[in-house]
Amino acid sequence: MADKILILDDDEQLVEAYRDYLTGNGYTVDCARELEEAQSLLAHFSYSVLITDLRLSKLAFGGLDLVKYVRANSFATRIIVLTAYGWPELKAEAAASGADLFLRKPTELRELGNAIDLLVGAGV
Amino acid sequence: MSNSILETILEPGELRVVFQPIFRIEGAARSVDSVEALVRGPQGTHFERADILFDYVRRKKAEAVVDQRCIAAICDAAEGLPSGVRINVNVHASTLGQNCGFADFFRRQVQKHLLALDRITVELVEHAPSCNIPELMNNLNRLREWGVRIALDDVGTGQSNYRMMLDCHPDYFKLDAYFVRDLTTDPKRCAVVESVVALANALDSSVVAEGVPSNEDLSHLEAIGVELAQANLLCPALTVKQLLACDFFSDPAFGTPVAEETAEQSVQSIDRAFAKAAAATQSFYT
Repeated sequence: MADKILILDDDEQLVEAYRDYLTGNGYTVDCARELEEAQSLLAHFSYSVLITDLRLSKLAFGGLDLVKYVRANSFATRIIVLTAYGWPELKAEAAASGADLFLRKPTELRELGNAIDLLVGAGV
Repeated sequence: MSNSILETILEPGELRVVFQPIFRIEGAARSVDSVEALVRGPQGTHFERADILFDYVRRKKAEAVVDQRCIAAICDAAEGLPSGVRINVNVHASTLGQNCGFADFFRRQVQKHLLALDRITVELVEHAPSCNIPELMNNLNRLREWGVRIALDDVGTGQSNYRMMLDCHPDYFKLDAYFVRDLTTDPKRCAVVESVVALANALDSSVVAEGVPSNEDLSHLEAIGVELAQANLLCPALTVKQLLACDFFSDPAFGTPVAEETAEQSVQSIDRAFAKAAAATQSFYT
């Protein structure tokens, strides 16, 4: 069965690009635009990997809240945090919150794909 | 070793201040009632945007220390405003809910810059549920005794609730932008605004409509009884120099401004500010 991936980002074009690329590489992909939507999906379905933007509409650091939500609920999901913020402190905070990987935006699709393959291959 | 984000924010000169006029909207002639001081974070960083800056500050529970730095920056910038212009400043309710000496610091800063305390309105923002209400009341009462007015920010959303309206006795209700759009076509939204106006009247307060998107909405607000409005539609946030170049303070009651920019430079920079405000409205988040 294909690994399921959840993407949380409010940039619709970017989400479509990720979805097309990852679906083409054999993954099943769900997408959410807002934090609450992502939390609801995580509560109902099992995902191998979560890809979340750090900054969400209405919440400048909403991605960190989602990372904490995943870890607080012990979901067996690997997490990739994407962000255009360049501050090392935020990378450290994402890691401390439970993120597995931190990628700077703009992220090439191939780089994202490699990161997911790595996390899925490593198991949870 | 590089500074943390918070250390960078707190470095002298990193916070910049712009002012957005609040207009009286009764009748055809709109006049400036006051200006709201808006703080921007370190230039060239994501924290230049106020929403990101203060979201981070609240996440770090550093509201009190950053509020102090903001007040100092605002007082510095406000020295350039005409002496009759009233100034709104944002302060977290959690800051005033702590016994951290903020009220005394506030008074010292304002007086140090030779600003009259009765020119200041404190806008209470982010009313955290855990806020120490008795301490908040105590500090608000002290501010009032010094002549400072109180406004409740973001009324209708978040923690700007009925209890805060009763406990804080605000002079102004700042009605969140969410409620003041599509008023000509959305009777339910209109009913909410009318209820806030009625409540404000009953509590002897005035309503300030924030972020009014169109002239139609503005006319509707005036008809409902809203006295004041603050919106990019009327004027975006400007530096002191840009503000002085506008014709807002020509009434002698505002005192005498001293403009340092040439008229041409000022017109150009104001045009850029309007364009930037329009662009920001288009793409609030990227």
